[in-house]
Amino acid sequence: MSEITKMRNIGISAHIDSGKTTLSERILFYSNRIHAIHEVRGKDGVGATMDSMELERERGITIASAATNVTWKDYSINVIDTPGHVDFTIEVERSLRVLDGAVLVLCSVAGVQSQSITVDRQMKRYRVPRIAFINKCDRTGANPVRVKNQLIEKLGLNAVLMQIPIGLEDHLEGVVDLITMKAIYFDGPSGEILRYAEIPEELKAEADAKREEMLDAISLSSDELMEAILEERVTEDIIHRAVRKGTIALELVPVFMGSAYKNKGIQPLLDAVVGYLPNPTEVTNTALDLDDEERVVVLKSDENLPAVILGFKLEDGQYGQLTYIRIYQGKLKKGDELINTRSRKKFRVGRLVRMHSNAMEDINEAVCGDIAALFGVDCASGDTFCHPSLNYSLTSMYVPKPVISLALSPADKKSADNMAKALNRFTKEDPTFNTYVDAESNQTIIQGMGELHLEVYVERMRREYKAIVETDKPEVAYREAISQRADFNYTHRKQTGGSGQFARIAGYIEPLEETEEVKEYEFVNLIKGGVIPTDYIPSCDKGFQLAIKKGTQLGFPIVGVRAVINDGAYHAVDSSDQAFQTAALAAFRETYDRAKPVILEPIMKVVVEGPTEFQGNIFGSINQRRGIIISSTEDGLACMVEAEVPLSEMFGYSTVLRSLTQGKAEFTMELAKYSRVPTSISEELKKNYLEKRRQEQGK
Amino acid sequence: MEIQELNALSPLRAFDESLDGGLGKGNLGVLVSRHGIGKTACLVHLATDKLFRNEHIIHVSFSGNVEHVINWYKEVFRQISENRSLADAASIYNEILANRVVMNFSQENVSIEKVLSSLETLIRQGSFNADAVMFDGYKLTVATEDDVRKIKQFAMDMRLEVWFSVSPVRSDVQFDENGVPSTILRYEQLIDVLIGLKYNEAMDKVIMTLVKHGESMDPKPMHVNLNPKTMLISE
Repeated sequence: MSEITKMRNIGISAHIDSGKTTLSERILFYSNRIHAIHEVRGKDGVGATMDSMELERERGITIASAATNVTWKDYSINVIDTPGHVDFTIEVERSLRVLDGAVLVLCSVAGVQSQSITVDRQMKRYRVPRIAFINKCDRTGANPVRVKNQLIEKLGLNAVLMQIPIGLEDHLEGVVDLITMKAIYFDGPSGEILRYAEIPEELKAEADAKREEMLDAISLSSDELMEAILEERVTEDIIHRAVRKGTIALELVPVFMGSAYKNKGIQPLLDAVVGYLPNPTEVTNTALDLDDEERVVVLKSDENLPAVILGFKLEDGQYGQLTYIRIYQGKLKKGDELINTRSRKKFRVGRLVRMHSNAMEDINEAVCGDIAALFGVDCASGDTFCHPSLNYSLTSMYVPKPVISLALSPADKKSADNMAKALNRFTKEDPTFNTYVDAESNQTIIQGMGELHLEVYVERMRREYKAIVETDKPEVAYREAISQRADFNYTHRKQTGGSGQFARIAGYIEPLEETEEVKEYEFVNLIKGGVIPTDYIPSCDKGFQLAIKKGTQLGFPIVGVRAVINDGAYHAVDSSDQAFQTAALAAFRETYDRAKPVILEPIMKVVVEGPTEFQGNIFGSINQRRGIIISSTEDGLACMVEAEVPLSEMFGYSTVLRSLTQGKAEFTMELAKYSRVPTSISEELKKNYLEKRRQEQGK
Repeated sequence: MEIQELNALSPLRAFDESLDGGLGKGNLGVLVSRHGIGKTACLVHLATDKLFRNEHIIHVSFSGNVEHVINWYKEVFRQISENRSLADAASIYNEILANRVVMNFSQENVSIEKVLSSLETLIRQGSFNADAVMFDGYKLTVATEDDVRKIKQFAMDMRLEVWFSVSPVRSDVQFDENGVPSTILRYEQLIDVLIGLKYNEAMDKVIMTLVKHGESMDPKPMHVNLNPKTMLISE
């Protein structure tokens, strides 16, 4: 077990096709290799060389698990897999929580692309320090300086070149390290032997100039370096310290380069990972104290404190369910008792393992900062496990509501069983994925964050669970809301034998002010003088909450409403909790129509990227979909259009876009907000809803 | 305050008055000064005022960072709506956003033909009926006369107002007493409105001078200036 300052938890994030897999493989390869060389030397003092067979085998390694532990020099690095697509936002965000730093991989030709922008936005939100690696410098059209400039311009990062390439495209030979001012070449059959040499004559001037630039940029976040420059006593150590400080403070993004495919530049990148990215003690992690109104508490990387652990990913293995965990505070030993703070279930830690690239290692304990996996724990992804003395939650209980739903029909009995198994599994893994059986149509409905999100699960059902299912057309999850204030004064009275029911409530409902954060419901009690006894007030609240679960226009939940009660009456004998709840429910239903209800629809933030020649088609396609163009950015031949488009108009957009742009454009989307549906469309929706209900009642 | 009242009380009414009712479609207006005086804020304030009055705006920037431009709009909107306690500010903001597109050209030395053709694509294929185009940071001082002529023609063809914020590119440029660099004077005949911005230390205000208006070349102080704290146009 390594000490905590020698641990790194990193993610590798990249746009599709920028070479994330190859880079990950190389990282595993070199780190294992170094490890192996180390061991062999220790035993017999003779360095080992690779034979080609072994190389082939080693190259076959891919990161198949959610977290892989590798050793570089004497540092323990956990490489955490980050899913790429934005439809899986919650998964991305959960994995971002777990990592302390990241390597942003960019293609030296394509540069900063739409997905890099989305991922970068998420990293900023979670304050993840990062270093950049410009990959594929061996490709035609490679231009690392241009990519560095895009990091500055498009992402607003203070990107600083730490290296310059020796040759580019076919002539890529190595890199110049601007700190040591040495050329680095990567010799041996797979680049595992580093050869340091003088900088080639023709690159000296450029290297000098870029070093100046680098020092200027770095010195802005380090007084120590600034002084050293003025006094002309800059040492490598001072620069390293300054880069580390700036990177962890998110003031700086050091940029490295090379070609994973050509085995160039990986080892210096690994040095940078351990050198510049933070260890777990240098990152502030917080939890919410569920016993204290979700007060934010700072966790300490101290193994003597009670344990706080996040289960961030579930995986079905041959030995049962594997739960990947990160320990934020305290330590974990086999046999320890933990409590799942969501389900309130206690359990004992059975098998504890660490995942390596090619093997699983049983361990007896893991300490704060570390990533490990547990076997056979019944839990959902994102659950927090604590020492029984604590009741903390690492993730907010807030989960974005699904925006889209899809009805499924299994082909036969066997498929139905398998589908049920699959759905049970998926809902555990992904809190943004829901499923229920519709009471009216008796169909299984799945809900999620986007068309692709659901498609992927349907595909997984087919492949992994052999469940053959038919799908209907996806449906948008609308919301209902009120647009003006309406007053009510409602008396609920029932006198049919036995004890009667009586409750009168008066007040009004009104729309909540539009703010950045969408609030669903607010209850205000303005009752004075006890005209409704305090005991019955929560029942009124409950009644309203029941009422907003399903609106009368489309049968979707009502959001953004404030219910206020300011008068009422009760009866000493006949009033009850139930009576007031019923009164509130009925009062709301009666008032709803007078409050001019409207329908809200999910609006997606859509980013389309493609060649400039298709810009007109892209604009046109957004315009046809009731979209609003927010911005368009052109950079030479590429353009990127950002827009807000109603989700209902986005079905099948990928096919349309492909045909409009000869397959050269791509798009991403995520939920931006809910907005009012234009009247013409809401009338149509209401008509269809009534029609559907009539049919169902007719059945 | 309701939006109509806010518009009536806006210092931009005094600004328009100085221009006898505004720049007018088919015309070019230029805000010019040294770096760091607040031209972008001024331009965004002009644009926001138009958005408040239901006009459609294209904001053209050359910085590469769209987020930055959008934040300027957010900030200017926030200041105006808070100063005037605008009713229902959040929904008004969402509404006016639909009438603004930011177009960004991050490639260095992009040609004016390219910029104009992209604008035309947006207006025609994107069905975006722009009333005004705001060029933020266009290097007008080093553009050729032909470039400026093309922009003028575009403004007339598309029937829209074009505003520029301009700072000189070269560091050795001479400024006159109104903050106008000599390099802009080459196209004076093509510019319909030229406004110089200059910081006055004694008043702690950025003074706005109407240097050229139509055929008149007689510099007149405007009834508005720029508040260096809020960076907004004020009376």
